[in-house]
Amino acid sequence: MANIAAQRIKREFKEVIKSEEVAKCAIKVELVNDNYTELKGEIAGPPDTPYEGGNFILEIKVPETYPFNPPKVRFITKIWHPNISSVTGAICLDILKDQWAAAMTLRTVLLSLQALLSAAEPDDPQDAVVAKQFKENAEMFHLTACHWTNIYAGGPSVNKDFDDKIKKLVEMGVDEHEARVALSSYNWDMERATEQLFS
Amino acid sequence: MGFEITRFQGDVDEELVCPICSGVLEDPLQAPVCEHAFCRSCIQEWISRQPTCPVDRQHITSVQLRPVPRILRNLLARLCINCDNAEYGCTRVLKLDTLTTHLEECEHNPKRLLPCEQGCGLVIPKDELKDHNCIKELRALIQTQQHKLNDFQQELAEQRFTMVEQKRELQLLKDFMKAMRISNPAMRAIADQMERDEVLRWSNTLIRARVTRWGGMISTPDEILQRMIKRTLSECGCPAHILDDLMENCHERRWPPGLCSLETRQTNRRLYENYVCKRIPGKQAVLVLHCDNEHMSEEMMVEPGLVMIFAHGIE
Repeated sequence: MANIAAQRIKREFKEVIKSEEVAKCAIKVELVNDNYTELKGEIAGPPDTPYEGGNFILEIKVPETYPFNPPKVRFITKIWHPNISSVTGAICLDILKDQWAAAMTLRTVLLSLQALLSAAEPDDPQDAVVAKQFKENAEMFHLTACHWTNIYAGGPSVNKDFDDKIKKLVEMGVDEHEARVALSSYNWDMERATEQLFS
Repeated sequence: MGFEITRFQGDVDEELVCPICSGVLEDPLQAPVCEHAFCRSCIQEWISRQPTCPVDRQHITSVQLRPVPRILRNLLARLCINCDNAEYGCTRVLKLDTLTTHLEECEHNPKRLLPCEQGCGLVIPKDELKDHNCIKELRALIQTQQHKLNDFQQELAEQRFTMVEQKRELQLLKDFMKAMRISNPAMRAIADQMERDEVLRWSNTLIRARVTRWGGMISTPDEILQRMIKRTLSECGCPAHILDDLMENCHERRWPPGLCSLETRQTNRRLYENYVCKRIPGKQAVLVLHCDNEHMSEEMMVEPGLVMIFAHGIE
């Protein structure tokens, strides 16, 4: 790893650990290997959003050319959000692409991601299905995102109705996650989800 | 890339840290409007990818970058840093602006060049000194030189071969020319011109000679002397077609009317100084070529020129 990248990451790692956001448990970062090329990030779902109460794990890969190129970040924790792929966790955020600036740090990246959870950009989607729901059926989106936060990120709000629907599909032999994806994609319409799963 | 912040004594103000490498600013430059400062190498690397300020994304170009204010430079210069060779035992702590000078002479630098004291005298980096083996090193040196020598020898042989080939080819061409010349008058004119040019070219390679004592002229040189001069002429590149004629003209019996007897020579002695003479290398003799002496009268000149052999007095 280039000297400059290692020096930066070491310093940024300390910066995050000492930051007040860590004190408030809003962001967190851990080392995955000894050479600072890969880190594990964690952000808390922001209040007054469907992600509140959840903790979202991020994979952070630091390129050899850091900080001249942005770190490669994706969500490990599954999340229902217009700008994050529900399949791969890939993130659509300008600062992780062409709007990256060398003075940005791990801390600012994590805070930007947290801000993205508060303010989705449905017109620049990463997940078209989620973005469509976000625009056409805001209430359904909210419920679905809460449910995903509950299941995958340890969020508090349990949705009995959704859980039951998934249970039914699982009893029919469907994988739990696949069932959730299908139901989420069809606004929790059992019939259409079943049709899609068994077609 | 800046200096690692942990190398400094005490705290370093955030303002002195490069936002790109997070080290303490090295040779800093600042952006024109927002005045954000960066290490020269860091900002240049960044601008080569994207023409914006890395802090606030204002548009900037490489030529707009400016030196930072004196106050910032002074603050940096005053910082105390440990030597780059601290891990090799250097305990010096220096003001940042004296670091470069210190590094040039730091005796803990593992790459400092030292002469081997075991006898071979080779100059090698300090950290390689302990594994250094004079015989091994010298052997390697001899080997590379041997390789070079072999290469040169091979090249020499190849060059010699081509030279022989070319000479042979040239001779063939000359023979060809001779044959053509006999059968074709136009060709003869060209060939004559080429021969005249050849003599001129040769004349230009010779050094101008000065005769200090015209009285030392030998008007009737013997055979041995003549042969010796002939060999020298041939060796210094005399065109073959004039060599025999020239040698004929080294004796007073073939000299022009103005020179052919002691009497006429004495009459014309004052004209000698007008001759353009060329040195015959290493010999007390001069060449007076017709092409160099067209200003002389026919009384004093013959084609293709004269050879004058002296007892002494040639410079």
